[in-house]
Amino acid sequence: MSTEVPFKISIPDTQLELLRKKLDLVTFPDELEDAGSRYGVPLADIKRLVARWKDGFDWRVEEAKLNEEMPQFTRDIEVSDGHGTLNVHYVHKRSEVDGAIPLLFVHGWPGSFIESRKILPLLTESSRDGDFPSFHVVALSLPGFGFSEAPKKSGFTPDYHAEVGHKLMLSLGYNEYVTQGGDWGYVITRKIAMKYGGTHSKAWHTNMSMGFPPLNPLSHPILFLQWMLTPYSEPEKAGFTRWKQFQKEENGYYILQCNKPQTVGYALADSPVGLLGWIYEGLVNWTDEYPWTDDEVLTWISIYLFSRAGPTASFRIYYEAQHSKDSGFISLTGGNPKIPMGVSRFPKDMVVAPMSWIKTTGNLVFAGDHTSVGTNKGGGHFAAYERPEALVEDLRNMFRRGGPAFGVTSKKGGYFDK
Amino acid sequence: MTDSDSLSERPFQISIPDSSIELLQKKLALATFPDELELESDEKRRMYGAPLGDIKRLVERWKTGFDWRKAEKKLNEDLSPMFVRGIEVEGFGVMDVHYVHRKSEREVDAKGRKAVPLLFVHGWPGSVIEVRKILPLLTNPEKEDELSFHVVAPSLPGFGFSEAPRKKGFNLTQYAEVFNKLMLSLGYNEYVTQGGDWGFYITRRMAQLYGHKHVKAWHTNYPGPGAIEPAFGAQPLHYLRHMVTPYTTREKTALERSKWFTTQGMGYNIQQSTQPQTLGYSLSDSPVGLLAWVYEKLVNWTDGYKWNDDEVLEWVSVYWFSRPGPAASLRIYYEVTQANQRVVPFREKPTIPMGWSRFPMELRSFPRTWTQNVGDLVFDSEHPSGGHFAAHEEAERLVDDLQKMFSTVL
Repeated sequence: MSTEVPFKISIPDTQLELLRKKLDLVTFPDELEDAGSRYGVPLADIKRLVARWKDGFDWRVEEAKLNEEMPQFTRDIEVSDGHGTLNVHYVHKRSEVDGAIPLLFVHGWPGSFIESRKILPLLTESSRDGDFPSFHVVALSLPGFGFSEAPKKSGFTPDYHAEVGHKLMLSLGYNEYVTQGGDWGYVITRKIAMKYGGTHSKAWHTNMSMGFPPLNPLSHPILFLQWMLTPYSEPEKAGFTRWKQFQKEENGYYILQCNKPQTVGYALADSPVGLLGWIYEGLVNWTDEYPWTDDEVLTWISIYLFSRAGPTASFRIYYEAQHSKDSGFISLTGGNPKIPMGVSRFPKDMVVAPMSWIKTTGNLVFAGDHTSVGTNKGGGHFAAYERPEALVEDLRNMFRRGGPAFGVTSKKGGYFDK
Repeated sequence: MTDSDSLSERPFQISIPDSSIELLQKKLALATFPDELELESDEKRRMYGAPLGDIKRLVERWKTGFDWRKAEKKLNEDLSPMFVRGIEVEGFGVMDVHYVHRKSEREVDAKGRKAVPLLFVHGWPGSVIEVRKILPLLTNPEKEDELSFHVVAPSLPGFGFSEAPRKKGFNLTQYAEVFNKLMLSLGYNEYVTQGGDWGFYITRRMAQLYGHKHVKAWHTNYPGPGAIEPAFGAQPLHYLRHMVTPYTTREKTALERSKWFTTQGMGYNIQQSTQPQTLGYSLSDSPVGLLAWVYEKLVNWTDGYKWNDDEVLEWVSVYWFSRPGPAASLRIYYEVTQANQRVVPFREKPTIPMGWSRFPMELRSFPRTWTQNVGDLVFDSEHPSGGHFAAHEEAERLVDDLQKMFSTVL
């Protein structure tokens, strides 16, 4: 019987010491005079961040803040098909409202449980006047990420990540729950919806809008007609442009991690500066000019650097998904989840599918659209971190009294008793 | 502003400062390794990347047993004589280019033929080390009546002991310009070339720009993805031939290998072509990271070549101790991709004679019918063994081909 153990992040001094020693020996690459940011992360940015990392950034302060803001635990979860028992780390914060909606938040790469840090107080907030529903929040570290154990055997596809997330919710007594996820969180919560939807997962929300055009008039007759007749909006066209640019210039990390995660893993396990560069590229390119502070970036990187299994383990989800029957990030063929689906679209994500495309992928009952907001306001890939209020507002609107997914988990639907 | 001193040839010996060796050892002492999945065989481990056991063993050797000074001395001997000279490249100023230049032991052979000037161009993750084994065979053949060569083998700008370009845009045209100027500066108005990997692309560009006037013929062991499947519209005759000619078993195996490379082995290529600087931070800072990055290719791209650990470490050290640092070498991928020079278009086919030596474990291979887009193929040979680093793996076979080809076409 797996029991919950309270957890506080407490990185041993030896690891901080090793980091300091490596930073003292850091060797930087050269850079072309006129490179700008076209060749990758600019050298000036990395040098500045390293200088801060050596002198000024205080991990103990950040660690204490994380522990204070986010109640954390670990417990063993048994995984099928020979993957054995994995010790899983998670944040768990309950609302004051007894019948609050249990919500599982699933991060992606290069994210982590800390992506839930800003939405945590907002989601668990309760309204005595019944203005909005409240949630109990569970945010796990995916196996191989953060402070969860890593899988030991090959073949740990997103299907098994889904199993872990689902079993975690059951073990916490949440027989019925909803999910929120982006990046791999999208893939994993979609699988949860497919496999455990109806009986356990009651609704799913994502900030990653994927889909494919409703090309077949026979399978989606109304959508097909709508798609044929409605020209794409300006934000939708901008989404295509962004996606094309990403495919052309920015998906090297993706293909590399799908092909040879171990090979690139040696460099990123051994060089904190290398890891910083690798992840920082995504933090800048995939957000909507989010004003990262240096300490924020370094905290984010530190989760990877100090992770239980080391950063290399986090790449393997790409390899396993690529070599699974899905043959890649996600397979949108093979049927859709039936439970209610919500999507929030943010303009600077690397993929922003048109509404007509998204409608082919599930039972869409809610759509939050932030794509027409001006630049620097819309939000990007890390929605929960960049636009926490907007994302929470969308979730509240999806699950509120009178909303399209009200009461899916309990009669009180996240409100106090009247 | 050109400096006449820098434009003249200066003798060169590899001599890595003690401080660089000390820094390397300090970093190795702090090496942090990743975990690895529990897998039953090295073959399975290799699917995810370089196996942990191999890397740990190599790092241990690098720390304790590998003697760089000894290797350095041997390299200086084997690659002698070496030089550096400044070459002016249009738009990029004067750049120091490092090269091996060894003249033939005989000006004229037993058949009365003069020694042929040959430019050998390496690729990534190669270096001038790749000329080491073929150098004595080319300049001092065993038999008196075998064709001999004057060999010039430079470090590509951004690699080995050559300077790196300081501005963006240094693509195949510039590499071609540098090397043609190098040959001319050595008094070789007419010469031939041999190249694989980037060496193929560069020598093909040279054949386009300087063919007939300076480059008389070119040989490759890697005809690149320019060898594209003939499309009916562009080349109806080739297309028909391609449809009708059945592939041999060998050709089918080669296509399988190509498929493996394009679906499983291109990650590094795409990263280096799009965000080389991002990757550069890791490879500059972590010798272990660089070792794994290069070692994986040395194993996967060769035909069961029995690398010994010191050989690997020497190869990687040339990158680690390179003049511009390992990150600079990645940019050739970016520049050539940006300039749209990756796909080799049919219409710009060079018209000087071309030779192709086929080794079974080369990364890409194509039926003969496909290579008509690449060049004027007059020499074509197949070998039973060998992979991507032909000059290193199959020195004798390669030299044999070069002697045969250039005896006939020149």
